[in-house]
Amino acid sequence: MINIQDIRDTARDMLAKGEVRAVIGYRRGSRGMLAEPAFITSPEQADELVWDPTCFHNLSLYLVEDRKFLAHLKKNSDAPIAVVAKGCDARSIVVLLQEHYFKREDVYIIGVSCEGSGVVDERKLAPLLNGFQASNAVFAGDDFVFTTAQGEKRLPAREVMADRCLECRIPFPKEHNVVFGEDKTGRELAAPFAALTRFEAQGAGERWNFWSHHFDRCIRCFACRSVCPMCYCDECVVDSITFPVTPATTAEEKANRIRWIERSATRSENITYLMTRAMHLAGRCTDCGECERACPVNVPIRLLNNKMEREAREKFGFEPGASIGGPSLVASFLDSDPGDFIR
Amino acid sequence: MSEQYEPKIVAFLCKWCSSAGSDLAGVSRIQYPANATPITVPCTGAISPMYILSAFNKGADGVLVSGCHIGDCHYIEGNYLARRKMHLTMELLKFIGVEPDRFRMSWVSAAEGAKFAQVVTDFVNDLQPLGPQDKLKKAVST
Repeated sequence: MINIQDIRDTARDMLAKGEVRAVIGYRRGSRGMLAEPAFITSPEQADELVWDPTCFHNLSLYLVEDRKFLAHLKKNSDAPIAVVAKGCDARSIVVLLQEHYFKREDVYIIGVSCEGSGVVDERKLAPLLNGFQASNAVFAGDDFVFTTAQGEKRLPAREVMADRCLECRIPFPKEHNVVFGEDKTGRELAAPFAALTRFEAQGAGERWNFWSHHFDRCIRCFACRSVCPMCYCDECVVDSITFPVTPATTAEEKANRIRWIERSATRSENITYLMTRAMHLAGRCTDCGECERACPVNVPIRLLNNKMEREAREKFGFEPGASIGGPSLVASFLDSDPGDFIR
Repeated sequence: MSEQYEPKIVAFLCKWCSSAGSDLAGVSRIQYPANATPITVPCTGAISPMYILSAFNKGADGVLVSGCHIGDCHYIEGNYLARRKMHLTMELLKFIGVEPDRFRMSWVSAAEGAKFAQVVTDFVNDLQPLGPQDKLKKAVST
């Protein structure tokens, strides 16, 4: 069990001593039970920090934002930023460090172990609360306790936890400066890739029907891209914004510029977008599940990322975010890589 | 319809091996279907999965990636990297329900003109029963 006071004390101490310029954590949000990201810069604010089953955000995203902000100001980081990181978030940070996006000394990782549980999935919770909104959620051993207008409701964590947390095997931030909670690596609440295995048992025709339905529904709001700490490119390949149009640009040049993907939200373009995204995240996605949670039309984006993760693990023995010095998936190879598909 | 369906193939050929291999097939006067549109790339390792998705997006019925045999890469390791990337791309295409025969990869050296002709012939034969690819193709509004 994590005592939230420990996290607050750590944050307060570090800010008071000036060891970090900010602490990124979670605080009570303005919408029901949900926590929201908190950016704390003074010791007095440390008491705002919370840790509960609604802390699903991957806060490493804000390290990326900070790095971009500093680059814009043409400044270097003068002190590290402390960030509260769950197991998956810490792995995201490791991937960013692998890619030299920022330096290890620029970040102070306050690790929190999810121990035997994880974060709640609102979509699973909603039907179990008899139409009431929860105003608070807390960890209670293997259960979550939700406060609604009807009183307290205790539910087994397994029933309302996000799929990714059920399938998670390493709910512990291995890379950390300080860590709270027990290391329960190896716990198995559900078989890894359970949802993916269920999906893959179907035939190609059924898989296509499923995906074409979802690809049709995507509205290309790019929420999945915005929420992803790995989607940090300044210029995304799917935006055709990098083509400089000047008064001297001819109509022919405009017509012939490279357009990998049109911006219209049609099926073919959505497929290309989502598949490209899956390819770009292969070996980098640490399955924090934020893309799927952020999606306003519930496209099961996680399945695509999971597929890539499983291919990488089973065929190439690759684990994303395993170590800072490790190789990246598509920039390395082994003699034993499968090649039977090649004629 | 008596006429047979002619699939459109986009073939990404490495400059050092398969491109020269296709050339050899030509100068040796080997007969093979004219369905493949060759695009020469410096190395198979330089092929982004985006090229393949984009080819399908723009109406290709099949995509062929062909390069040097393992160990023969002009850039030492390009085809090893390609093997990994193309494997992932292929698995992803299969995953969403695209027919596995739509994407193919082969190793064709500069001396294997006959093999190149064979690869293209086989590919066309496998694509013909599948008909036009309309899953990933851009819908053109008229």
